[in-house]
Amino acid sequence: MLRTDEILSTIEMLHAEHLDVRTVTLALNLDDCAAPSVDHLCKKLRQKIVSRTSRLVEVCDRVGSKYGIPLTNKRLAISPASTLLAGHGRAAAVEVARTLDTTAARCGVDFVGGFTALVQKGITPADDLLIHSLPEVLSVTQRVCASVNVASRKAGINMDAIHEMGHVLLAIAQATADRRGFGCAKLCVFANIPEDNPFMAGAYVGSGEPEASVNIGVSGPGVVGSALRRRLAMGEKLTLGDLAEEIKITSFRVTRVGELIGREVAAELGLAFGIVDLSLAPTPTVGDSVGEILKTLGISRIGAPGSTAAMALLNDAVKKGGLFASSSVGGLSGAFIPVSEDAALADAVGQGHLVLEKLEAMTSVCSVGLDMIAIPGDTPSETIAALIADEMAIGVMNDKTAACRLIPVPGAKAGDVVDFGGLFGSMPVAEVRNAGASQQFVHFGGRIPAPLQSLRN
Amino acid sequence: MSRHEHVYVLNVMSDDHPGIVAAVTGAVESLGGNIDACSQTVLGGYFTLIMIVSLPERIEPERLADQVRQAESSGSQYQVVVRHAPPEDAFAPSEPSDRFVITAFGTDQPGIVRRFSRYLAGKDVNIVDLYGDRRGDEFVLIGQLEVPTRWDIRMLQADLEQMGQELDFTVKLQHENVFVATNQLRLTRSPLASRPSPLAPRP
Repeated sequence: MLRTDEILSTIEMLHAEHLDVRTVTLALNLDDCAAPSVDHLCKKLRQKIVSRTSRLVEVCDRVGSKYGIPLTNKRLAISPASTLLAGHGRAAAVEVARTLDTTAARCGVDFVGGFTALVQKGITPADDLLIHSLPEVLSVTQRVCASVNVASRKAGINMDAIHEMGHVLLAIAQATADRRGFGCAKLCVFANIPEDNPFMAGAYVGSGEPEASVNIGVSGPGVVGSALRRRLAMGEKLTLGDLAEEIKITSFRVTRVGELIGREVAAELGLAFGIVDLSLAPTPTVGDSVGEILKTLGISRIGAPGSTAAMALLNDAVKKGGLFASSSVGGLSGAFIPVSEDAALADAVGQGHLVLEKLEAMTSVCSVGLDMIAIPGDTPSETIAALIADEMAIGVMNDKTAACRLIPVPGAKAGDVVDFGGLFGSMPVAEVRNAGASQQFVHFGGRIPAPLQSLRN
Repeated sequence: MSRHEHVYVLNVMSDDHPGIVAAVTGAVESLGGNIDACSQTVLGGYFTLIMIVSLPERIEPERLADQVRQAESSGSQYQVVVRHAPPEDAFAPSEPSDRFVITAFGTDQPGIVRRFSRYLAGKDVNIVDLYGDRRGDEFVLIGQLEVPTRWDIRMLQADLEQMGQELDFTVKLQHENVFVATNQLRLTRSPLASRPSPLAPRP
């Protein structure tokens, strides 16, 4: 039998602190849709996606109602589209993207991830095709999300690919200049891309994954923040160890909800249950913020000394609680700091407390990387590439996933406020210091070799 | 499972003070009885106890009740009811059901518990645990329920939410697994094992 206080505490999490399941992502391998003719390829894509995905939204809504938890986003991740594009021309890339876009819409899916190329060691013609189609693809589609893996622990860092991505990001921004370069928000550049990540824009289905499975992304910055504030309000003398414990317990509870929902949705769809990604994913809603958690942990200006240590505490405690809650933890599973999507982080950038360099330092101890950061539209492509290279180095050298989602906003200068709308939020354009001073480094090109795995000091 | 052949259900109410359980169990033991199950609660300063008691010899229920009343020694008075207990399987659920929790919050007014419980009774929903509390002007009602699987939960939710709107109450009906998952270390019961969904994969 449940106790009354247990029921009341869950009700508080769900209804007052707005715990939701951020995404239910159906991961689907589409390799068998490959065909020599573009029309036939697109026909097979439509058929396979509809047959596997058409019930996703209905099942999610039913399961969400049963437990009284909103399953906020229903998404689709596919195997890398670059595989499907092998042997095809530029028009095929755009046609495949349009097909993914319209079919996802037909299934009620808000984003489809997996317009992906894996180029950490080298670029195939199909990868090249996909990468250079991105400006058009991300401007003519609504739902398609892209990712390019340019580095890995085993391959090192592909600087040629990164240099190219610097150009491509500027081209995407120009192609979507009417939306302040928003196309770039749908592209992640990765080191060590996870094969089972359910979160956009970086979701895709990697090799070794099942034909079809259900991956869950939980959320809960608001719940963690409330738990900490409640504990602090009790008035007792607390240490950072006590606060880490509180985060751990909350992460356990949140992850258990994700696992419960994921298993039931998968069973109802007749699919394998994949993973729970226990990342803390903020939204622009006030209170649903990782930045506010840092403030609660005693960092009154986010970006001040101590911010990286506080972030490390938070990220580690989230993982520890989540890992006890589920044996199927995967994806990114850490605390995200997507600046425009987190009102407190965006505000700290506007106040001048949080700068790009400090964000980069914080990403060495938390999930993802330089995420959803608007930068001036006139930032040189080599400087963008060098920003990416720095973040990739953090991922490769620390054997973790790292990613960049940088948005060079056409015509915007540091300090101008840009609004991407909805969940993507708004932020003041961040200053890029020393722009233009990385030219020669980037122009060397080639590959930064894979790192040493011992003597790690 | 009862220790002895003759089984009784014993209910005791009293103002709350130390020693009630000791007195009641002493009375049961004096008749050679065994306590097979018990549950007590204290509400608003009042103590209530329900016990399943088994005895080796068949006696009139009122004799057991008298024995318990006489055991009282602190000056208050026990109200005692004793009945023969029917076999356990008499309470087996008549149809498959699933466990849900109803919660309702709002400004207190007469008739809240009646309105909701009457609706649930009309749907053959069994209330297995009920809690209500007035805090200031607010009333909170929590019920743990056995809901027949023949109902579409979303229809019940819609009805209850509508009733809630009429009373200016926030009402939720949620499967118990979400409360188990967030509070307890035990595994949740698989709802699909007990109730094949029409949409579940066919073997």
